[in-house]
Amino acid sequence: MTWGVAGLAVWFGARCALEGIDLEVPEGQITAVVGGDGAGKSTLLRVMAGLVPPSRGAVRLPDRRQLGYLPTRAGGFGDLTVEENLEFVASAARLHRSTPRVDELLQRTGLASFRRRLARDLSGGMRQKLGVSLALLPSPRLLVLDEPTTGIDPVSRSDLWRLIAAAAAQGTAVLASSAYLDEAERAAWVLVLHEGRTLVAGPPAEVTGTLPGAVVEVDAPADPARAWRRGSRWREWRPEGDPAAVAPGLEDVVIVASLAAGAEGAG
Amino acid sequence: MSLLEARSLTRRFGSFTAVDGVDLTVDGGEIVGVLGANGAGKTTLMRMILGLLRPSSGTVLLFGRPPSRGTRRSIGYVPQGMGLYRDLTAAENLAFAAAAFGVPAGPPPPGTETGLVGRMPLGPQRRLAFAVARQHHPRLLVLDEPTSGVAPLTRVRLWDQIREQAAAGAAILVTTHYMDEARQADRLVLLAGGRVVGEGREQDIVGEATAVVVHTGDWSGAFAALEAAGLAASLAGREVRLPGAGPDEVRRTLAAAGVAADITSAPATLEEAMVLAGAGAGPGAAAVGGVPGAR
Amino acid sequence: MQAMIRKEFRQLRRDRRTLALMIVVPLLLLVVFGYVARFDVKEIPTAVVGVQAEAVAALLPETFDVRIVDRAGSRATAEDLLRRSRAIIGVVAEPPLTILVDGSEMFAAQSALRRTGSALPFGEPQVEILFNPDLSTAAIMVPALIGMVLTAVGTVITSLGVVRERQEGTLEQLAVMPLRPRDVIVGKIAPYFLVGVIDMAVITAAGLLLFDVPFRGSWLVFIAGAVLFLLAVLGMGVLISTLSQTQGEAIQLAIMTMLPQVMLSGMIFPLTSMPWGVRWISYLLPLTYFIQIVRGVFLKATPIDALGIPFLALALLAAVVLSLAILRFRRDLAPSGRRAAEAPGAAA
Repeated sequence: MTWGVAGLAVWFGARCALEGIDLEVPEGQITAVVGGDGAGKSTLLRVMAGLVPPSRGAVRLPDRRQLGYLPTRAGGFGDLTVEENLEFVASAARLHRSTPRVDELLQRTGLASFRRRLARDLSGGMRQKLGVSLALLPSPRLLVLDEPTTGIDPVSRSDLWRLIAAAAAQGTAVLASSAYLDEAERAAWVLVLHEGRTLVAGPPAEVTGTLPGAVVEVDAPADPARAWRRGSRWREWRPEGDPAAVAPGLEDVVIVASLAAGAEGAG
Repeated sequence: MSLLEARSLTRRFGSFTAVDGVDLTVDGGEIVGVLGANGAGKTTLMRMILGLLRPSSGTVLLFGRPPSRGTRRSIGYVPQGMGLYRDLTAAENLAFAAAAFGVPAGPPPPGTETGLVGRMPLGPQRRLAFAVARQHHPRLLVLDEPTSGVAPLTRVRLWDQIREQAAAGAAILVTTHYMDEARQADRLVLLAGGRVVGEGREQDIVGEATAVVVHTGDWSGAFAALEAAGLAASLAGREVRLPGAGPDEVRRTLAAAGVAADITSAPATLEEAMVLAGAGAGPGAAAVGGVPGAR
Repeated sequence: MQAMIRKEFRQLRRDRRTLALMIVVPLLLLVVFGYVARFDVKEIPTAVVGVQAEAVAALLPETFDVRIVDRAGSRATAEDLLRRSRAIIGVVAEPPLTILVDGSEMFAAQSALRRTGSALPFGEPQVEILFNPDLSTAAIMVPALIGMVLTAVGTVITSLGVVRERQEGTLEQLAVMPLRPRDVIVGKIAPYFLVGVIDMAVITAAGLLLFDVPFRGSWLVFIAGAVLFLLAVLGMGVLISTLSQTQGEAIQLAIMTMLPQVMLSGMIFPLTSMPWGVRWISYLLPLTYFIQIVRGVFLKATPIDALGIPFLALALLAAVVLSLAILRFRRDLAPSGRRAAEAPGAAA
């Protein structure tokens, strides 16, 4: 089963938050939405969580009970313990209070040794693991995670992605957002948003082939408006192509797409 | 002369040692990135350099002198939260900081000319935070995740500005835990458990660390089998990667589970190297591999 | 629903501040209204003057707590004693027997009026209410309200201003700028002081014009008292903000300090009718002394030498609160041992 949106537009009053978005979120796979602040990530994820109605376009979602959603920076209720948080979500989802799923998640996340700790006293990484666990607890068919790893250190981030990948391996459709492109490389499909529109979309390993022209690495750029620094050297976009082209990374593709879209200086 | 020089810097909180004998130098014109997991000691180290925290032992020299009110005139600092007054305009923020440093205020950067800072998108706010930090021509810039949360093009444009400051002779210390940012530094310092465990360029940090890469038509089967065997697998698109694992063990596990796969070995990514270095430092961390670049 | 209820109770149990507010406030109100809120004054400080002072004093019922007996005194002496708040009732023991009542002490005055007359064995005395002859509520409440409004501005608004810096992370930014801690502290408090002064001027003017409240005393005494009081409440504001991490916490704390001030400062209920079990709290509150000063200055033209105790207490409270506030604020700005770090040998 594949969830997703087609021809989606979302307007908040006179402001257009999303326009012309197509996205498929298949089960058993991680799909990533990447973009800067104000790109429309959260709005798209809230549409996919059934919280924002589309102004136009089609949305295909599972039943509410089969949908897990983790908003940005939500790691359960701070003044409940880890165990109480899980118990609350379990009873809200009409699961048995001592479902084996709770223990499984506690073990998998390493939260088992913090059962009695208040959520607000957990480290950032642990708190976020709790948040993802809470979203995973009812075994949803579609799991929507808004920036699950923002502000989280690399070790916890790696653990979190393993937890998310394990859910996908069990057949869950996972949709996760991030402000960082290097996160997208974990996904089977990435959608890069800019100001509510699609900038780049495809499997991360393949979108690099869609770059118009070429990217070269130079010491001094010919046209600074089309160049950006990578460490102490420059990368420059040559729309007409160049024999000295280097293999572009995902970041290069997105920057070129931003330059091509005239997105200079925004968000 | 190094503009920032920290020697055997140590800070204890009770019986916990947050920073343990760290040596760190940053020369003028150089961008040094400090990487590390939570609890690795990044924040404590930075606070000692800024003079917000006293070292338990060791010394910090800024421009060859111990930190004082005088050295603070030559430091520019952008905290993670940017430290801007959200209920003032960009010009008012610049004017306040300029007055505190006794310099004329610079112009607001593009996109921040009108309105209160709190109403601006993140990109312009980050540009403003950087403009505030550099308008008194600091010789040392300390930046905590300076491009967090912004669009890729905005990020590289911010890095253009950071580079300009380095080119003009400033020493720049950046703390981050995102590879998109780390890649922009001239030199990286990897902290784990309060100690420096790796230093140099990206390839120096990665060192000999490798990851086993599993190419298979059934990634979910492979992932489940490897996780069930207690191996720390991560997903990269439709491939499964196991940093620090042994190829034979992976091959055996997959064969036992009946998953057909093609197994190769590849250099670890910077992030994987960090995870391997940080393993054992944090609770719930991945299985311990070798510590790359340890000294 | 059951899950929701259980969750809410668990969270409530852990939110100590809200819980404290929910339990302490009603309890405080109960105690205050049960024990403190006595409009009926049992002991009225009384001065008896005149040639027959001793004889008259002996005949007065017990409610009149005779503190001063002055055979050589005259009506003017009695008036002066009332002006200086040394007594609320002045009995001039000369024919015709005159009882002077301090109208600025509303409840005491009313109690006294009820008990004069029939209670006295020497016929109907002449009763005169001084300072506030109509027993106008406005004349008594407006000066006190000036103090209450200033407490609100000084404590609540100042505490929010400082805690905002902490919450938004700009406090750290200030700490790394080449500013001295005193620049930051004085710079932070001065605008609120100025706002407080303007606020006070506006309320005072409005009170005098709209409610026809008399102002009989010295402006200088009033201003001196107001400045001391303002410093004390600003100090409370800064102190609260250094004890709070968020604006929500600061507001909760500020409310917890406001409530006893309103109840126990003598603004509404007379101090003299409070049992000592709570009255000692009154004597720790800046508003208590400020009200004594403003009521005295506004209504009775009390001279400064008769306000020594309230002035001294206010100055002491302001000094203590402000020093504590500055010490704690300094700690945020100049973390412990920055000095030591400046001396290379000291840290090694």
